[in-house]
Amino acid sequence: MKNTSISFLVLFLGVNANAQHSHVQNDTTKTLEEVTITAIAKRKIETEMKMAVSVDEFLASSDNISFIKRGAYAWEPLLNNMSTERSTITIDGMHVFGACTDKMDPVTSYVESNNLSTIDITSGQAGSMHGATVAGSIDLKRKSTSFGLEKKWGGAYQTGVESSNKQFFNLGNLFYSSDRFVADGSIAFRKAGNYYDGNSNVVNHSQYQKFNTAVGLAYKTGELSSVRVDAIYDKAKDVGFPALPMDLWLSRAIITSASYKQLFEDGLLRVWDTKLYFNAVEHYMDDTKRPENLVHMDMPGWSTTYGLASRANLKHGDYSYEIQLNVYDNLSIAEMTMYPQDRSKKTMFAYSWPWVTTRFVGFSMNNSWDISEMSRLNFGGSLGWNYNHSKYVEFNWIFLPGTPQEKNRILPGLHASYQLNINQFNFSVGTGYGHRAPSVSEGYGYYIYNSFDRYDYIGNPNLKNEISYEANASAGYKNERMDIEANVNYFHIKNYIIGRILSLGSPMNYQSVGVKGYTSLNHARLFNMALNANYDILQHLHWKGMLTYARATDDKNGNLPFIRPLSYQTSLYFMHKQFGFQTSVNGDLAQEDYSPEYGEDLTPAYMVWNISADYTFSFRNYKAVLQVGAENLFNEYYSTYADWGNIPRMGRNVFTSLKFNF
Amino acid sequence: MGLIIIQVKKITFFLTAMCFAVASCTKDKTDYEAEIDTLVPEYHEFKEAVSVHSDGYDISIEALNGTFFKGYNEIRLKITDSRTNGKANTSAVTFLPIRNNADGSNVSCPHRYDLVDKPDDGYFSGYSVFTDESGSDGSWELYISFTIAGQTHTVKQPISVQEQTNKNLNITTFTGKDDQQYFIALVSPQKPKVGENGLVAGIYRYNRPTYPPSGNFPDASQFSYTEVSDYTLQLDPRMPEPSMGNHSSPNNKDLIQQSDGLYHGVVNYTMTGNWTLNFILLNRQGQILKGTIVPTDFTPGVEGVKSELHIDILF
Repeated sequence: MKNTSISFLVLFLGVNANAQHSHVQNDTTKTLEEVTITAIAKRKIETEMKMAVSVDEFLASSDNISFIKRGAYAWEPLLNNMSTERSTITIDGMHVFGACTDKMDPVTSYVESNNLSTIDITSGQAGSMHGATVAGSIDLKRKSTSFGLEKKWGGAYQTGVESSNKQFFNLGNLFYSSDRFVADGSIAFRKAGNYYDGNSNVVNHSQYQKFNTAVGLAYKTGELSSVRVDAIYDKAKDVGFPALPMDLWLSRAIITSASYKQLFEDGLLRVWDTKLYFNAVEHYMDDTKRPENLVHMDMPGWSTTYGLASRANLKHGDYSYEIQLNVYDNLSIAEMTMYPQDRSKKTMFAYSWPWVTTRFVGFSMNNSWDISEMSRLNFGGSLGWNYNHSKYVEFNWIFLPGTPQEKNRILPGLHASYQLNINQFNFSVGTGYGHRAPSVSEGYGYYIYNSFDRYDYIGNPNLKNEISYEANASAGYKNERMDIEANVNYFHIKNYIIGRILSLGSPMNYQSVGVKGYTSLNHARLFNMALNANYDILQHLHWKGMLTYARATDDKNGNLPFIRPLSYQTSLYFMHKQFGFQTSVNGDLAQEDYSPEYGEDLTPAYMVWNISADYTFSFRNYKAVLQVGAENLFNEYYSTYADWGNIPRMGRNVFTSLKFNF
Repeated sequence: MGLIIIQVKKITFFLTAMCFAVASCTKDKTDYEAEIDTLVPEYHEFKEAVSVHSDGYDISIEALNGTFFKGYNEIRLKITDSRTNGKANTSAVTFLPIRNNADGSNVSCPHRYDLVDKPDDGYFSGYSVFTDESGSDGSWELYISFTIAGQTHTVKQPISVQEQTNKNLNITTFTGKDDQQYFIALVSPQKPKVGENGLVAGIYRYNRPTYPPSGNFPDASQFSYTEVSDYTLQLDPRMPEPSMGNHSSPNNKDLIQQSDGLYHGVVNYTMTGNWTLNFILLNRQGQILKGTIVPTDFTPGVEGVKSELHIDILF
């Protein structure tokens, strides 16, 4: 929707090794205060265009994140144009798995912008610290206040409205900080109605309501050690999915953790951080509000995860490394119960996830060696064991008789990159190799209806590991006034998992046209490219531009679905005294390389223009910002290549928000 | 510090309350195993269904769970000497069920007339495929004869045939294109599971008598049935409810006869619910005796078309 680029992302993209490295260095500081302060100094969750963004809008401003959108809420983030199965999405390193078979609840939908401090996006195998991956990792970092702040109490409150969907939101957070004890909490409410498209027609079933609250408590157990407990509770209710034949009645998540952190003043080991976590997600769909449904199907889902993440940072001279142990156990359950219009008569029952347990134990390592002032070598790897068990394996036996109930997989990963800085130029080249296990749906899904291509999907527990061979490179130039950087990456993925039409079996879901089974293509190839530039035209006038392009083909040179066409965004930012003005234009060219096999059609080009203005002022001791702006100023009617079922995006949307810091 | 402790307590309390609030799910999960258990009873144990005392012998007839049901019943018959309570040295046991209809007519049903001696198990083995329950419109009697020490004994015993509530053991009766009367009775599985189930059925033909009745009633030649051999029963299982849109399943196998005389195939149930087993019965020459091909289209909202030869089941 608004792809206003932000400099924060440039920091993490392509040359993630930088981020990894600075992390290590930060942790070597002597006291705990300093460590956490650096975390706070990280970029806030807001874009230049809009300060009150949702997590999705924030992610959308990254150049290697795109979204599949099924409505106005809970967008599915694609990293390097690959779906969520191929990336690891974690919250502070904790694995959370959505409970919806139709991906209506990506992990990113269970957090809120005011309980996050930043989002770390790592491309490719370099992102294997939290577990096996192909596309990379997205780690949502929680806010944590540091010990012994000058200001003992503080907080922020933000409220705003948006015109198109009559969204009204209130976000608040509060912290308390003393030398030994820290508490922070946040609370957020959002309520939105149906939005209007560019033809000023209402898009029915696009409303949502969200409540999110988070609490974190930390206690210093010694000069160099602390314990911390965290909890996030999220509840979404009455969420419409205009692109799907059903909506969400209720989803809830509780995400908890307890961690212990120990710093060391000297020696090889500098930081040791261990966390135990538990999270539970429940998700209930509702198709009774759609009159076109002659039948109703209850599709509740549950996902429960227990885990351990233990990380240590070590440093020896020019050589620093980070090791991490990840352990988790997840149980995913999803049911289908069908009723005719008379709900007392049940016509069928089946499991779409037949009580599937996933256990993972993985050991990851990342090394960084400063060869000289100018160059650095990063290398690392991971080795994981992935175990699956399907309790009601009879559902898997329907299409694959005799499939084993249990499956063990070994998931290795390796990566290396080399960085070189020569004067104002910087270069990097990298490579990676890694395996991933099929997801619960890909392995064990049963009659999961995909409303995009209108097929019922069947999992296959015997799928081979997906194996990724990756290469990436970047080049950049920087001087006082400008900054330009190009990133490319290329993935050759063996045994690429995708749904193929099965000649056997008959569909089950009401709108379905056939049955597809998850199968492995011999290979698939993905190429991503991004170009970012900044230029300070005047002292208070800045320009920024971004261009991305991706291309992906299967083993027969056919197109893969959901690949972003050439897209661009350009923005100007002007400051004058307490005022700020921003304007941006973004768009995609036509999606020529679409995939009819997967239900895609040609999506025409579009261009959207946004503007906003803000005013910063203080009264008493409060600092406040007032912002007014409009997205899609010319009310363009459009839908993007990744809008499920070509649902139109939001038309002109005037927004205003007010933020207080105290 | 005091403030902090109060804070900690408050927040800990809040956290604990939150955990409890969420630990319980909003909606209960379906108890799938219990649901399958309650829908369909399954019987494995043979119990005495009826016993007769005659001519100094005790005749005990056992059926699954001690009950005769409409449909296929495996029968075990034991004869003991009332004086010694020991096993009588019996040979040539015959078994004939007769239904006395209210209109005065007498019919039988597919059955094994000459019971098979199973000396190792200590009983005579047979079966009876009751075509109707006992009721006001008719009642069932068993005519049993057995020979001990060269002397033939005959016994007549009224029995009660119960309604079969388990649709997985349904039967169907029809007249084939060859103008013969056929019976198909489901034998197994009693309790299907999701997935592949061995499907066992008995297929029988009524042998129309060529001569008028003679001798004492009943004349067994008037009530004769054959287990048809080398036929094929083609299978196409479907979910007929309109909401299921004629849903079917892969990996089903047609039923063919095996050495036990019964027909064995595979039915793959993709989910619980109402299913129709659509059949086409082919004779030895591969000619269709009964049954029609069902459309394979997915037709949501429309009641599934059934073969003219089918059995509805539910699990």
